[in-house]
Amino acid sequence: MRRGRAVALACCVWLSAAAAAPVPEPQGYWTGPIHGPVAATLAGGSVIHTRKLAALLKRGAVLVVDVSDAPRRPANLAQQAPWLPLPHPVIPGAIWIPGAGGGSIPADVDQFFRARLALASGNDLSQPLVIYCHEQCWLSWNAAKRAISYGYRRVYWFPDGMEGWRAAGLATEVAQPQTPP
Amino acid sequence: MTKAKPWFRMLLLFAAVVLGQPGASYAADDTDAVMKAHAAQDAAEHAARWKQLQQAIFGGRALADGGNIIKIEAPEHALDAALVPVTLTMNSTTPVKGVYLVIDNNPSPLASHFTFGPRADPHALKLRVRVNQYTFIHAVAETSDGKLFVSQQFVKTSGGCSAPVGTDDAAALKDIGLMKLHLLGSFTAGKPMQAQIMIRHPNFNGMQMDQLTRGYTPARFIRTVDASYDDAAIFHLDSDISLSTDPVITFGFVPDKKGTLKLVVSDSDKATFNHSFDVPAS
Repeated sequence: MRRGRAVALACCVWLSAAAAAPVPEPQGYWTGPIHGPVAATLAGGSVIHTRKLAALLKRGAVLVVDVSDAPRRPANLAQQAPWLPLPHPVIPGAIWIPGAGGGSIPADVDQFFRARLALASGNDLSQPLVIYCHEQCWLSWNAAKRAISYGYRRVYWFPDGMEGWRAAGLATEVAQPQTPP
Repeated sequence: MTKAKPWFRMLLLFAAVVLGQPGASYAADDTDAVMKAHAAQDAAEHAARWKQLQQAIFGGRALADGGNIIKIEAPEHALDAALVPVTLTMNSTTPVKGVYLVIDNNPSPLASHFTFGPRADPHALKLRVRVNQYTFIHAVAETSDGKLFVSQQFVKTSGGCSAPVGTDDAAALKDIGLMKLHLLGSFTAGKPMQAQIMIRHPNFNGMQMDQLTRGYTPARFIRTVDASYDDAAIFHLDSDISLSTDPVITFGFVPDKKGTLKLVVSDSDKATFNHSFDVPAS
């Protein structure tokens, strides 16, 4: 058994050396490509992974927000072209606010995101928030940072995203996007 | 075996994965069952989606197994979701009159429909597409007697739809409509040969964010490509937002004599681009 442990440890060391180093936290919002290696931390918030998130949600009273992009039908798509976006799965109970995680966002989206969080939390800045999108996706990092800037004190960023959630075999439900009127 | 501490079991799992052994042999418990249930759920979702698309695109017509008639190749793990190479090989005894390429889980799933003309050699096609999330890609050949044959490949990559086109939109639009033609192999009158066209076009799909203005770049994409040889059609392509930026298409044609290969590309802004190339290249 001891030998097995040594092999496992050696493998872990080798793996972590081979994996790309995490990107350092940007000063402001991330404005580079949305998909790619992400930061390991979020100043002012906490990073949470799948197992702990599942346990946290079981205790209840957590507001979960998905900020993944929604597919947008191009206005000039051929009329006969089938437009069939897949139903969007979210963590059960989550609200889906696409657009809240851009590097800089239009004022109406910013206002909508702030108002939607205020409504769902009952204007309680101590309400725990979990913000996610996909694995290797900066949208949730940006949106979590934005929520911290609104004054929320218990913001969890869930970098494993929907892929991590599903890979653990956890349940999902279908949600509709919520966007400014 | 007594229950090991969680961290230790994680290490074993890591080691198992790295050494290429099934992790299940170490943790034959709920993890295994969860993974199996998850895979079954995925398979059911993929099957239901394809059934929906068969109805939407082919109106419920029967699709037979592709066998040798059509084969699709695409990387199972594509490195760049915005540039996934797809190769189609057709070996039908009945002539193939058209090919459909369907990317199941893209919001606009019908990526391409090729219709072959009299100058086509419809045995091979290559192109590059965008993939939004893990998906099956289906290639469907329609033979001249109206039968449909299908072949599929699963591709694990995501984010191709929102992947930005270069660093800024102005640069991506520069040289729009420029085309290059590469003739592959040597020219012999009456013998099939392969050609590769490259078309400069950003193929904006409306889901990409402009890296400078932070707004969404309006969709502007290639609608049709017509290739002909001395005015006889090689193929007509109806395409969509799933075609990659700066599309590259490899196809076969039969030049009966020295002549001119002509390409006409039209896009969703109603712009048309024409280019003619001498065959063999002069």
